[in-house]
Amino acid sequence: MMEANELAILIPVLPILAMPVILFLGQLFNGNAKWKGFWKEGGTISTAVMAIVFLLSLWLIVGHVSAFSEGSDDAIVTDVGNWVSYQLFTEHGDMKAQDLGFGMQLDHVSVMLLFVASFLCLLISIFSMGYMNTDKINENRNHRFYAEFVLFCAGMFGMVLADNFLWLFIFWEIMGLCSYLLIGFYYERPSASYAAKKAFLTTRVGDVFLFVGLLIMHAEFGSWDFSVVFNAANIGAADAGLIKAMLLLMFIGAVGKSAQFPLHVWLPDAMEGPTPVSALIHAATMVNAGLYLVARMFPFFAAPAMAGELSDVALLIAMIGGITAFMAAAIAFVQKDIKKVLAYSTMSQLAYIFTGLGASLWFVNNGHDELAFFAFGASMFHLFNHAMAKGMLFMASGSVIHEMHHAHHHLEHSEGEHDEDDEDHFDAQDMDNMGGLASRMPITAIAMAVGSASIIGIPLIGGFWSKEGIVGSAWKAAMYDGGGLFIIPAILVLLTAGMTGFYMSRMWFMTFAGKPKTEVAAHVEETTPFIPIPLVTLTIMTLGGIIFAGLNFAGWLGENSSNLSLSHAPSHLWHEITHAFLALGSDGKIDPLILIITWTTILLSMVIGPFYAMSLYGGKLAKGQKAHWSIAWIVALSGRIHSSYKFDNSVWAESGLSTALRNRLYFDQWYDALMLKIVVPFSYAAAWFDRRIIDGVIKGIETGSQEASRNIRSLTTGSARDYIMMAALGTLALFLLIWGVA
Amino acid sequence: MIDPSWVAGLGVFLFCIGLWGAFTRKNAIIVLMSIELILNAVNLNFIAGAAQYGDATGWVYTAFAIAIAAAEVAIGLAIFLAMYSQHETISLDEVKLLKH
Repeated sequence: MMEANELAILIPVLPILAMPVILFLGQLFNGNAKWKGFWKEGGTISTAVMAIVFLLSLWLIVGHVSAFSEGSDDAIVTDVGNWVSYQLFTEHGDMKAQDLGFGMQLDHVSVMLLFVASFLCLLISIFSMGYMNTDKINENRNHRFYAEFVLFCAGMFGMVLADNFLWLFIFWEIMGLCSYLLIGFYYERPSASYAAKKAFLTTRVGDVFLFVGLLIMHAEFGSWDFSVVFNAANIGAADAGLIKAMLLLMFIGAVGKSAQFPLHVWLPDAMEGPTPVSALIHAATMVNAGLYLVARMFPFFAAPAMAGELSDVALLIAMIGGITAFMAAAIAFVQKDIKKVLAYSTMSQLAYIFTGLGASLWFVNNGHDELAFFAFGASMFHLFNHAMAKGMLFMASGSVIHEMHHAHHHLEHSEGEHDEDDEDHFDAQDMDNMGGLASRMPITAIAMAVGSASIIGIPLIGGFWSKEGIVGSAWKAAMYDGGGLFIIPAILVLLTAGMTGFYMSRMWFMTFAGKPKTEVAAHVEETTPFIPIPLVTLTIMTLGGIIFAGLNFAGWLGENSSNLSLSHAPSHLWHEITHAFLALGSDGKIDPLILIITWTTILLSMVIGPFYAMSLYGGKLAKGQKAHWSIAWIVALSGRIHSSYKFDNSVWAESGLSTALRNRLYFDQWYDALMLKIVVPFSYAAAWFDRRIIDGVIKGIETGSQEASRNIRSLTTGSARDYIMMAALGTLALFLLIWGVA
Repeated sequence: MIDPSWVAGLGVFLFCIGLWGAFTRKNAIIVLMSIELILNAVNLNFIAGAAQYGDATGWVYTAFAIAIAAAEVAIGLAIFLAMYSQHETISLDEVKLLKH
């Protein structure tokens, strides 16, 4: 176990080292047949590195879990080394030596995130070898993709492991940089480079606030180390108002990174990147960073000195969560692009986690520790479930898009008249071009069905176990004294549960059920190598949510219990099930409120949402096509509902609200207008100031000295007689001067 | 014995002639001669000083100045020769090499 801790530094360092190697080799062997074949233009290196990192992480995690089971309740901290020492002026005017070292801290939350990140990064790397290397458009530049990919992963690993807020911020920014590079991978497309800039600048707004927050932290605590900052005595000694400001600023940073209202605009556009990048950003890394940061705020809220002081911060976090969850789900209703639906679904699910964290922070700040740990565990467990399901959904959507694209290519070629310009008219991501794929892409269809079920929260599958906890916690917080305003996010997340049921089912039925809507969809085949591996793995992971629930994973994450033991699993699973379906409290009594809410959630998300989706978008497969048995019944059911219950949704579809949703509630327009009204005139003024005042002074000095030197230069005629004259006059002047002084 | 002030006065007179010559003449050789005149005016000044105060230093400096002046004439004439072979003139109005 000691060895694992010593090797832990390799987890972020290996991918960082792999980046220049891949870039260099890529430049060296670009176009080489072996480089493309065996080495997959760097994909093999990236996958190998990710595999090593995953094994190291597993080793570390197993050691960590067993250490906790043996009763040690402290986080494991490894000090790697000192980076820089500096002097700090204290209030009394004397200097204090300060070290800024890089160390690693492992506790329940970072262990969970490390597992999620390393596991998904490995799977996405495998997926990319199939997805990226079989597409002509990526040829000879895949090494750039893999190099940026490994650096991105390194950023996530480093951020999760850091024991210091400054290092957390540094790795956070590495991720920001790589997201910019990867979203703009197809930089020749104006939309992609626009999306890359948008993602970078929007998250940058949050990052600036985060950094100001971190500066306040350093001013208050004199350190960024977790061990110093989280110390309850230190928090007690600090100024409560400043702590509150610091937490708010840090929360704005998290809002930007996790794409919450009002800084959410970058995430849908981030779909311009290749699909593995979408999976990476939305499942494994970037968006989880913001949640991780908020989860790390827990000790501030738990400190006795701050009790009751930070309720409104917690409420704000939950509010932002509730609003985003509802808004994103509403926008997802009308999206036609399969990846955009998933993007909005990501925003909505992350918002759930924010709501859960908000409730947890509120509870702990108001002294309800037991409930706080429960909500915290549920939120973190939802993060885990969502990452697994969403990583799979994105890869499945990538599989669909990839095969649609290939089928389209194939058709074009067989018709004999291949027209390059024509390619742009066909949108391989538009769900209106799909339909009936259930029989043609069985693995993808099953994976997507399971993933959607997990996101919807169908009982016993993945996300169900955690979503119940979040919704229940929000309602419980609303019932307590002083938490009345929690009723708003509580109602919003409850409604969103039903909306999730609708838009996820809509996506699945539009893609896989019914008859093929285009010629292309009728010719799709699932043939690309590597792609099924991550899909199958993650399907099993998502279905295995029940095992994690049985292990009391949520409780473990909430640091309620320090035990992850298999022997208690069956009894605990039974406890979880009774808790979830009968709302049995630990005292054995049924909580009527939670019971009602649970069953309302299940009714909304499992029955009403999918029912509407089926009646609008369902349908039987074309004649002669048979889907795999596990999904055939869903398709058949949807066909029956579609033919028996007709809804006329044209009134709604043509309403102003629907148009507004299709235009993403005009957020982009508002922001653009705001930029034009405020930022652009300010930029012009700044440019004028720079040109006239700053450059003007410099240029004035420059032209002045040139003018003077030109005048002086005219004295040097080159004629010896003039020089004699000057020497004589000079001597005379000197003589007169000496005479005058004397 | 002539009063040293007359010697010094002659020195001033010669100095002015030399300066005037150096300013006005175009021909480099005449300018060189004028400069020699200035030098000798200075020598006379030294001698006047030495005679006045009965100090041999002035004589010694004069001897030095004459020796150096001889060397200077030699270099000056050599420069004029080189100048002539390059530009075919030794008129100071036309030669402005010192500008560069």
